[in-house]
This record gives sequence, C-alpha cells and structure tokens, in this order.
Amino acid sequence: MESSGVTLAGSTPVGAQPGEPGLDSLQFGEEIQRLMAVPPENASSFTALLELPAPQAMELLHHAPDPDRVPAMANLSGEPLHKPYPHQTFGSSLTFLSDPALIERAAKYSVFAGEHSPETSSVPSNSSANLEKVKSEPAETDSNPNSSQPLVSDPSVEEKNQRPSAKRKEREKKVRKLKQRGIDRLGFLGFPFLAKFDKSRFQKSEIDHHFCKIQAKASSKKSKNESSQDAQKLPYVHVRARRGQATDSHSLAERARREKINARMKLLQELVPGCNKDKMPLNKIDEDPSFFPSGTTNDGSSVLKSQECNSVLLCDLDPSRSISGTALVLDEIINHVQSLQRQVEFLSMRLAAVNPRIDFNLDSILAIDNGSVMDGNLPNMVSSVMWPEFPINGNRQQFQQQWHFDSLHQPLWGREEDNQTFVTPENSLLTYDSSANSASLHSSQLKMEL
Amino acid sequence: MQNFSQLKQEFLKKWLKGLKICSSPSKKMGILERKNAIKLSADLAMAFARKGRTYWSRAVIAKASRNSNNDMTLIKNASKQRFFQSKKIMKRSQNVHRVLLRNKSLSRKVLPNSMAKRLVKKRTQVLKRLVPGGDQCLDEVSLMRETLDYIISLRAQIDVMRCLAGAK
Repeated sequence: MESSGVTLAGSTPVGAQPGEPGLDSLQFGEEIQRLMAVPPENASSFTALLELPAPQAMELLHHAPDPDRVPAMANLSGEPLHKPYPHQTFGSSLTFLSDPALIERAAKYSVFAGEHSPETSSVPSNSSANLEKVKSEPAETDSNPNSSQPLVSDPSVEEKNQRPSAKRKEREKKVRKLKQRGIDRLGFLGFPFLAKFDKSRFQKSEIDHHFCKIQAKASSKKSKNESSQDAQKLPYVHVRARRGQATDSHSLAERARREKINARMKLLQELVPGCNKDKMPLNKIDEDPSFFPSGTTNDGSSVLKSQECNSVLLCDLDPSRSISGTALVLDEIINHVQSLQRQVEFLSMRLAAVNPRIDFNLDSILAIDNGSVMDGNLPNMVSSVMWPEFPINGNRQQFQQQWHFDSLHQPLWGREEDNQTFVTPENSLLTYDSSANSASLHSSQLKMEL
Repeated sequence: MQNFSQLKQEFLKKWLKGLKICSSPSKKMGILERKNAIKLSADLAMAFARKGRTYWSRAVIAKASRNSNNDMTLIKNASKQRFFQSKKIMKRSQNVHRVLLRNKSLSRKVLPNSMAKRLVKKRTQVLKRLVPGGDQCLDEVSLMRETLDYIISLRAQIDVMRCLAGAK
C-alpha cells in the first residue's frame, strides 16, 4: 500500500503540465513545506535555503525555464546548461526523478544563495510576474489543503503511473549518470563548494527516503479511496491486491479466476429467469447447512428433489425474495437447462406427431424464410406447409370426424407421456393430445386411402 | 438481438436440410422414430449453426457421428439407455448419501463454508453432465461459457420449433 501511495504522490508534480505553472508551483510549495518537516540533521544543505524568505525560496525552486536566468547560472557554475535539462527531458517521467532533481537543484541554489546572495536577489527583477504568482500561492495551499493533489484523479496522470517499472529504473540510472557527470565536471573545474554538494548528494538518498515516507503518509488516506478505482482502470495489472489481501502470484491468479467466474455467473443470472440478483439476496442459505436436508443435493438424479426443496424453501421464506448465492444460482441454471432440453424434446415430439412425414414442404419454407422467422407471417406460411393436402383432397370434414376416435388412442398417448415424463401444464397437454392424435389419424387415413 | 435472429435463421435452414436428409431413406416411421429423427436433426443443426466453435456443439456432432454408424437402432434405444442411466445415477446417489451420512456422524461440525463449497461442486458436476461436452471443460470458467452459449442456442432452437409447431 505504501508503495502505491508513494507513486501517486510522487507523480503528481510530474503530471502537471507545462501549461499550468500555477499547479506546478503549488506542488513545489507543498514539497517545500514537507521538506521543512524533515529532521534538520539530514537537511544540512537546505538550511541556507530555509533561511531565505519563503517566496524567494520558492521562486528559486520554481522551475520556469527562464531564458535570462539560465545562462547566468551557467556562467556562474561554469558548466554549459547542464542543470535544467534533466527536468526538461525527463519532465514527463516518474516519481523518483523529479524529487532528486529538485533536491539537487535546491542544494545548488542553496550554495549559490550562501555565496552569491546579491545574485539571487537580483533574479526576481527578471521574473517579477513569476514572483507574484508564487506569492499568491501559499495562501491557496493554506486555505485549501485538499487541492495539494488536484491531478491524482486525472486520467493522464494515471496513465503515466502505469508505465512499466523497467522504464522507471532505466530513467533512474540515466539520471544518476547525468548527476555523476555533472559532479565530475564540477570537480574538474575545482569549485570550492564541491565537497558540500557531494555531501548533500550522499545525504540525498536518506532525504529521499524521508520524503517518500512523508508523502506516503500524507497521501495514504486519499489513495485508499482511489486504489479501487485504480484497480479497475489499470490496463496492464489486471488484479491488484487490496489492503489485507495476499499478493503472491498464486492468490492473484486465483482472484482473477474467481472474478471471471463471477462475471460469467452474473451473465447467467441475467439470462436465467428466476435468479434476479437485484432484489434481496439470500446469502445465508448456502452458508447454512441446516437449510438443506443432506440427501437433496447429492447427485444429478436428485436435482428434482433439490428443486422441490428450493421451491419449498423459497415459499417458506418469502416469495418476493429471489436467489443469490452460487449454489442456488447453479441450481437455477441446471433447472433452466433441463427445462430447455425437455422443451426441445417435447417440441420435437409434437412436430413428429403433427407432421405425417418428416420433411415439410422444404422448398417453400426455404424460399420464404429469409427474414421471416421473427415475423408474424411465419404462422400462415407454416400452416400452409403443414397441411398442404387439405385443399387438394378436401377431407377437412373427415378430419373433423376423426376427433371422435381420439378416445381410442388415449391410453397409448398416456403411456408414452409417462415414459417421456413431460412436465407441462395441463391445457398444453390437452392441445398436444388433440393435435397429435388428429395428425396421426390423418396420416394413417391417408395411408389407408393410398 | 440481431445476432439472435440470425442464429435462428441459420438454425432453421440447417435443420430443414437435415430433415430432408433424415427423411429420405426411410418412408415408414413410427412416431417415436420420427420424433427422434427430428430431435437429432435439430440438435445437429443447432450444433452446426454454432459452427463447431464451442465444446458442446463439437460434442453433439461427435456423438451423432458415433451414433450414425450404428444406424437408427441406437437412436431407438435412446429412451431405454436413459432409463438405465438414471437407475445407475440413483444407485450412486444412494451411495453418496450413505457416505455423507457417515461423514456427518464422524464430524458433526461441518463448517458452513465447506458445506457451501461442496454444494457448489456437486452442482457444477451436474451441470457438466447436462451440457453436452461439459466433461471437456476443465475449469469453471469454460463451463460457464459453454452453459451460456448452450442456453442461448437452446432458446433459439425452441423458438424456431415452437414457431413451426404452434403454427396451425
């Protein structure tokens, strides 16, 4: 948790765009305030900076690529334009980068401030507008402490956050190299404050450590709230451990799998009627073993039993409640699949009964069927297909008369239905009987006639 | 929904073709044979309408091809087979019941969590048996996917069949 907090907090000044100097300087002000909280033994090189009046110090720290000031500093230090580049070239990079750059600059400036104080005092004349801006800032930070991290929810910042850590490491290396080079140059030129600067550089890691800690403390509350959003938005880290969750690869994979299953389950829940999760969930049922008698859920053959049990349960508890809980959802799915399969069976039986021959008038159907499956004209078409012989033979009256013979075939149909164990409402059974019997009689009569 | 109606049309076309093929060899058929032929052709058409992309459609096709070697006799015996199967399942379920009872007597305190897990496991097994080709789904995710697909296609099938059957 702490690490993510650090990245969040550290990336905020980086994410500030160059077009928004106000936000940028605001961030720097915040950082200075934090740096003040660093124990003084670590910040020996900052003491000079801290002695300055706050707006001036911030002005010094505030990194506006000022065309007048940079050459002056370059002339002073004798090195050609080295200093502003790290921040410009890696301006969009990650946390570690900006902070060392800041600290390094601060160290340098502090040294300068100690040695050439008139120079620094002459700087604001070039950028008086900047100074005014900076002056206006501290009031803002005091009055509105929540705005210290205004860009955290900004998607661009988060995208920058999502860069692979390998890149980050590379950049760190680069920065270190650059710094090393700068120090070497300084030493080559024999500047008197080299020892100080080097010392400050060695202290820098410690300072960084403190810095990160403080920032993490400050941002942990906010990042807690935002961690859940981050977990959804991050594209390359699919699973993220929340507080108290395990972070090893096995549990992460397991969590990913569970999430997948849950998503599918939700889809199925929406698809299958009867388990609507929006209403009151019944989570307790599948947790409490006493709800299920032990024999009900053992095997496939007892699904019907468990179904009965479920229905009884649901009726007992509350009819308005609907089902949640994995086991019950699975039950519903099983029942649904079974009912669908039975329906297919039943419909095929019915079709077999209705039609004297298997192939209906195929050509006519195939000719018409494009786009007509969903429409209302299908029934008419199919009826013409189903009973093509009627108008030709003219034996509709015969067909009417054959209804009387239904009673003869009744036992046979009853037996068949027992075998098939159709579960259908009674009226549909009745229609099924009548239509099927008439059809079979009709076919037999046709055969007789032929 | 556009997809759904497309699926229906596809199914209807394939089914009617299959019916034509089924009907040609044998003119005289009992109602049960007819029913089985219709069902088989419908299932096959459904499986082919899914283009063999899913486990269940492949399983249906494989089963049908296995059955077609032994001609219609196997199809005729389908009902008997099922009866036999259900007997077997009943016996097994009784066994499991006994084992469960013994377990319960051994350890009275069954954690509710483990109980729920067992229930879920049982149900997934049943579901695997219900969905054709469910045995090939090794994990729950693919099983869920198969079930979703199967339910959708079954619905399309039922819609079309109902259209044909309830048309008069």
